[in-house]
Formats: sequence, structure tokens, C-alpha cells
Amino acid sequence: MRFQEAIAEKGFSLCALLSGAVTVTVFAFMVILGFPLIREGQAFTLLIKPWIPGSGFYGIYPMIVATLAIASLGVAIAFPISLGCASMVSVLGPRPVSLIVRRVVELMTGIPTVIYGFVGIFLLVPVVRNLFGQGSGMCILTASLMLAILVSPTMILFFSDSFNRVPQSYLAAIDALGGSKVQKLYHVIIPCARNGMLIGLMLALGRAIGDTLIALMLAGNATGVPGSLLDSARTLTAHIAIVIAADYESLEFKSIFLCGMVLYLFTTFVTIGIRFVGVREGGKKA
Amino acid sequence: MKMRVFLAMVFGVFLTVGGYDIVSAEPLDMFKGEKGAVRIAGGTAHIPVMKEVAKRIMTVNPAIQISIAGGGSGVGIKQVGEGLIDIGNTGREPTEAEIKNFSLKVFKWAIDGVGVVVNPGNPVRSLTKSQVKDIFAGIIDNWKQVGGIDKPINIYTREDASGTREVFWEKGLDKGEIAKKANVVVSNGAMKSAISQDPYAIGYVSVGHIDHTVAPVAMDGVVPTIQTVKEGQFKVSRGLYSCTKGEPTGLTKKFIDYLFTPEGQKIVQSNGFITVK
Amino acid sequence: MNRLIEKATMMFCWMSIGLLLGAGILILGYLLVKGLGAVNLKLIFGGTIPLDALLFKKPVFDGLFPAILGTLALVVLSVSLAVPIGISTGIYLAEYAGPYTKKIFNLFFDILAGIPSIVIGLFGFSLALFLHKHYSKNVQPCLLISGLALAFLVLPYIIRTTQVTLESLPSFVRVTGLALGATKLQNILFVLLPKSFSGIISGVILAIGRCAEDTAVIMLTGVVAMAGIPKSLLAKYEALPFYIYYISSQYKDTQELMTGYGASIILLLLCLLLFSIAFVLKRQLTYLALYRA
Repeated sequence: MRFQEAIAEKGFSLCALLSGAVTVTVFAFMVILGFPLIREGQAFTLLIKPWIPGSGFYGIYPMIVATLAIASLGVAIAFPISLGCASMVSVLGPRPVSLIVRRVVELMTGIPTVIYGFVGIFLLVPVVRNLFGQGSGMCILTASLMLAILVSPTMILFFSDSFNRVPQSYLAAIDALGGSKVQKLYHVIIPCARNGMLIGLMLALGRAIGDTLIALMLAGNATGVPGSLLDSARTLTAHIAIVIAADYESLEFKSIFLCGMVLYLFTTFVTIGIRFVGVREGGKKA
Repeated sequence: MKMRVFLAMVFGVFLTVGGYDIVSAEPLDMFKGEKGAVRIAGGTAHIPVMKEVAKRIMTVNPAIQISIAGGGSGVGIKQVGEGLIDIGNTGREPTEAEIKNFSLKVFKWAIDGVGVVVNPGNPVRSLTKSQVKDIFAGIIDNWKQVGGIDKPINIYTREDASGTREVFWEKGLDKGEIAKKANVVVSNGAMKSAISQDPYAIGYVSVGHIDHTVAPVAMDGVVPTIQTVKEGQFKVSRGLYSCTKGEPTGLTKKFIDYLFTPEGQKIVQSNGFITVK
Repeated sequence: MNRLIEKATMMFCWMSIGLLLGAGILILGYLLVKGLGAVNLKLIFGGTIPLDALLFKKPVFDGLFPAILGTLALVVLSVSLAVPIGISTGIYLAEYAGPYTKKIFNLFFDILAGIPSIVIGLFGFSLALFLHKHYSKNVQPCLLISGLALAFLVLPYIIRTTQVTLESLPSFVRVTGLALGATKLQNILFVLLPKSFSGIISGVILAIGRCAEDTAVIMLTGVVAMAGIPKSLLAKYEALPFYIYYISSQYKDTQELMTGYGASIILLLLCLLLFSIAFVLKRQLTYLALYRA
């Protein structure tokens, strides 16, 4: 009996170690396979150089700029919309509206990314092209708009949950003082849920940085540093998807492992940042 | 080993049954009774032909599995060299170094060209070579500068591993620059879709792929059609190649042989390319 | 508070709802309008008779059947790899791990959950290259590698749902078994796990949905445009989300585009169904936790 227990415990802990090992191994592979670049001291210069394989430039600077631009613009567009919707769902809305909207939003979180990209090509790209009269319609703006639609449902649900977690006593206090719903929102709920909202924002940012399909299908994939919102651009994720087809002894190919490293580090920082904010909130609550 | 024995038996049967010339017998018969897989990847211009051949083979013998992927000529060469696939398609001739490094055997089964295309709604249908070079370099950036409407030109180009791009860059642009802000698409099919959807687009595509969804643009007076490529008037021409690592054997060899049979060449022709036989 | 600010806030919130719902309805509506006409047996089976195709007697060309089978095979493979390890890890974290260990592992799994799917795909591809060079020439990006990579992708979901479900079980449930003389393992297997069943299942269903819709991972680990039905674990295969991506960027004519719309509808329905089931299960769990405790 004791024996069984010990084996079970060892077995479970082995699984846990295996799972944890995956996290580390992913990063290790990126580093090992991108090593020739680091060894030749090019890793840092690659982060600030342009991408011209014909002349031997394998810099991923344009991709870094594009990733940050599309991700931050997408989240910036999604934030106010999500805030408005979450407020309506949790605080301001009449009951039936609140329920319907919540159901629809929950449904929208299940839509596959490739479908957003697919519809974007036929619906959004021509609209952007005709609206601005220049550019092919496949640009940073289009990708950011679709990305905003992608991350909004999850952000709304997250914000809504944060709003619901505000202590009842605070809400009761405002009601007792005769405050309206909007006043409740501005003076109690949002300040209280501030940390939760920050976490939701960062989760969305992580998701936006790591998204491949929308950027691949809607942003145009040009190799230059984008100069304006209507310029075609290539994100780190789309770059990996495109260059995977190249010759894999070449430095060109190894650059995608550098992209992988950069992406891994970006999202890890965001994750650690979320934990940090979460810890602060936990401490404050107590 | 078993494959070779079987091949010998098949050959023997053919001989004894009357000394038939293998080429004049029903070509698809050589696939009957075979088993195994053929992995194909590489140039995207070859895909329609590959798909048709694979369909016929798999209909005659469902036990054979043929998988086809794109990726561009760079993928074709590298993956066949590494042994990850059996047949690597390329739209450009493999370099000396590549042939030596990977002991490639190259088979050319069609002739094709790469032509400039625009949206069918675009009135501009003829450009000089230097205009083409300037457009793709981004120096000429508005359609009105070449006789069209007053709208910016949207350039579309292919990814770095593409053989189509390599050929166009070398022979069409004389190794000129392609603007960095050009949109990048990853296959001939994707180029066609992109151009047919964007009224102000310009790009380049395999001549065999040109159909009613895109409009060919004459370069220095020569329209890129399969005729002008065949007669040598249109200079930006290339072959469609399939490469194997070393001499092909077994199912791979049969697949390649089929491409050179009259049936196979008919498939090549019906897809808009020029036959080699 | 200013009347104006109140009115403005309400208007802003209503506008946000309008925008979001409008976008959602536009996307879904556009797909349905364009593609519903294309969803029929011909879409799935091409020119082959359905019965022949289902019994694998004849191959299917120009149909979605191989892609659907490929997606199915992927889901089964990756979930069967991820579920045992994920649940065991979750059990370990909830029941056996000390607070310090728990914190470290949680950090690791949060990081794993945040890794972009294409980086996981890149990892799978490098794994395939590595095995190809050092282990056996037969290994290449294939069904097995994709299944493995997808398992890595969904592992954090399963671990997290198992751990959270087990930890949120009320203490009297935990204590009763032990008080009656059960060992820790017996308690876990016969009392805690059955009670957490719906929560764990919702995590598994979420994982299934994720595997079915993911494109970035499979793009790098072995999916191709044409391969017929998956015949072996070490072979290339087709999948539904890749088909949609492929068709959207290169369609020969309107007919092919229609198949893209049809495939989108099928994938959409599949994923929406799975996510709805998962949500319903999660709700049941919350109800039980809040009102039964």
C-alpha cells in the first residue's frame, strides 16, 4: 500500500517535471539553433539591422517594429471597446441586454483565428483600400483592426469578471449614498478593478504579439521597416511562417530562431509582468 | 530490395508477353500493384501538374500515397537534399554548388516563363523594360506616370525562396532592386489572387498560370504568352524542374518517367506550359 | 456628477456594444451568406461516392474529407498525449507540491501558456530536424510531430483546469475520505477526481477546440496542401484550418473559393460547438461550487 502511494507520487511528480521541462526546452532549442548567429556576435546587430538577404543582411529590426506596432495598435483599439462593453455587461446594462451580450461575447471567443483572417481578406482589405485611396489594403491598420476584434471578447470577459469581484460592501456603500450606476462605475468599480484590468490588458497584449495568422494574411508581409499605418509590414510571427521554407543551413534560416527567441522573451516578460501586478493586488486586498 | 525484384518481374512480364515497348503501353499501368509513398514539395508553379498526375496515379492505385506541398524552389532543393522528400520541384536551375552538395539529379519536364501581370481592370497593358525596372524599384510609383489612372502603384512580389522571383529578378529586372515596401505573397496562386483583388496592383507570375483573372503586360512589345516563350521572343523564360537526390528509384522513378510520357506531357500542356518532347 | 458625463458614458458603452456585436455579426453573417450554399456532400466528398470514401475504398479528390479526417486524427493524437500528463501534473500541483514548488511550476506553466503558437511550431519543427539527423532518417515533419507539438500547446490548459478544479473542492469533501481511512491516493482516485470530473472535462474540451482550430503549429510541422487521408503517423496530412488558409491565399476560381467558405463554416460550427459545451460545463461547476458548498 505504501509502495503504491510512493510510486503514484513519484509518477505524478515526474509528469510535472516533464511538463516544466517543455517550457525550458523550447527556449533552449531556440538558443541552440540560433547559436551560430549569437556566436558570430551578430545577434545584437541583427536586432537593429534591416532584412536584405541578397546583400547578407538578416536583421529582424523591421519585424520587431511591425510586431510592436500591430500588437499595440490592436490592443489600443480593443481597450476602450472592451471597457465599454464590460461596463455595460457588468454594471450599467439592463438585465436582458447584459445577458445577451455576454452570451454572444462568450461565443465569439470560440471563433478560430484563421476565420478572422479569411473574412478579413475579402471584407476588410477592400474597405481599407478604398477608404484611404492608397496602399493595397493589406497593411498595419487592417491587421490591427482585425486583431482588436480577436482579442476583445477575451478582454471583455476578463474585465467583466474583475468588475464582478469588487467587494459587495463597497457597492452597497455607494447605493446607500444614492449614487447612480455610472458614478458607481467611475468612483468604485474601476479603481478597485484597476489591477484586474491591467492584467487583462497584458494578457491581450501577449496574445496580440503572438498571433500569426492575422498578421500573415492581412498585413502584407513586406520586408521594409513600416513608415506609416498604411504600409505593408511583416511581423516576427509571419516572418517565421514565411522563411521556414528557406534553406536551413543558411543564416537566413537561423534568423527565424532569433525571432523565436525574441517572441519567447517578449511573452515571458509580459507573463512575469502579469504575475507582478497580480501579487500586488493580492497584497492590497488583504 | 523487394521493389527492385518486383520491377524486374514486371519488366520480364512485359518482355515475355510480346516485347512491348514500355512507352507505348498504357503508362499508368506501371503503377498498378505498387505500394508506398512519394513526397513532393517545392515550386508552386508545378503544383497543378503534380496534383493532376497524383490524382491519376492514386485513382489507378489507392495504395500509393502522394503528398504535395508548396514552399518555393528553395524548399524543394533543400528538402530533397536532406532526404525529407523524394522529389523537389524548382522553377529555376539548381546552382553548381547545390547539385554537388546534394548530389542532385535534375529533370526538366516543361518550359515556362515569368510575365508581369496587372488587374484586368487596369488599362495599362504595355511597358518598356526600364519602366518595369523602375516600377518594381519604387521609382515610378503612380499609374499616371505610365499612362494609367492617377493612383499609387501597389507592388506585389514573392518570398525569398521563390524560383519564380529569382528568374524574374535575374532576367526581367536585370538583377535590379525590388522595393522594400512591396507586399509579399508566397506562391503563384497567391500572386494571382492578390492581383485579381487589387485594382492598382502589379506583380509577376508563371506564364502557364496566366488566365482570365489577371492581365498580362507586354514588356518591350512582347506579350508573355506560352507562344512567345516557345518561340524565344519573350526572354524571361525558365524550365520547370524536378530534382531527386541521386538517381531516382522505385516509385519516384516511375513518377518522373510518367512526366515524360505522352500522357504526362499532355497534362503539362493542358496546364499552360510548353512540353519538352 | 455631471449629467453630460453620465449621458456620454452610456452612449459610449452602447456604441462599443454596437461596434463589437456589429463586427461579430458581420463576420458570421458574411460567412453564412456566402458559404451556406456550398455546404453539401459534394463539398466533403468531391467526386467520390460518400460510402466508398467512408469505407476508404476510394480516395477523395477535390473534397474536404481528407482534411476533416486529418484534423480529427490530430485532435485525437494530441489530446491523448496531453491529457494523461496534464492531469497527472495538475494532481501533483494540487495535492502533493509544497508552496514553493507550486509557485515555480505555476510560473513555468504560465510562461508555457503565453508562448506564441508559432514558436511552439518552430520547436516542433526543430525537434523533427533533430530527430531526423540524430535518430532515424524516417522522421520528418509529420502527423506524429504535429500531434506532439499541439500537445505542448494545450498542456497548460489541462494542467490549469485540473489544478484549479481540485483546489476549489470544498474542504469537507477532501477530509471525509481521509477520515474514513482512505490513503491519499485512494482519496484522489475515488473521491476527488470524480468530483472534479466536469471541470477537468471542460479543460479537455477547450484543448480539443484549440487543437482543431490551430494553424500556426501545423503549418510548420507537417501539414500540406494535398496528401489524401492520413495513412501513417509518420506521413504528411491535410487539415481543415490549413485548407482555409491555403484557399484564401490562392484560389483558382469562384468554385474553389466557395469550398473555402464551406470549410470555414464547418470549422466554425465545430469550434463553436466545442467551446459552448466547455462553457456550459464550467458554469455547472461554478454553480456547484457556489451553491452546494
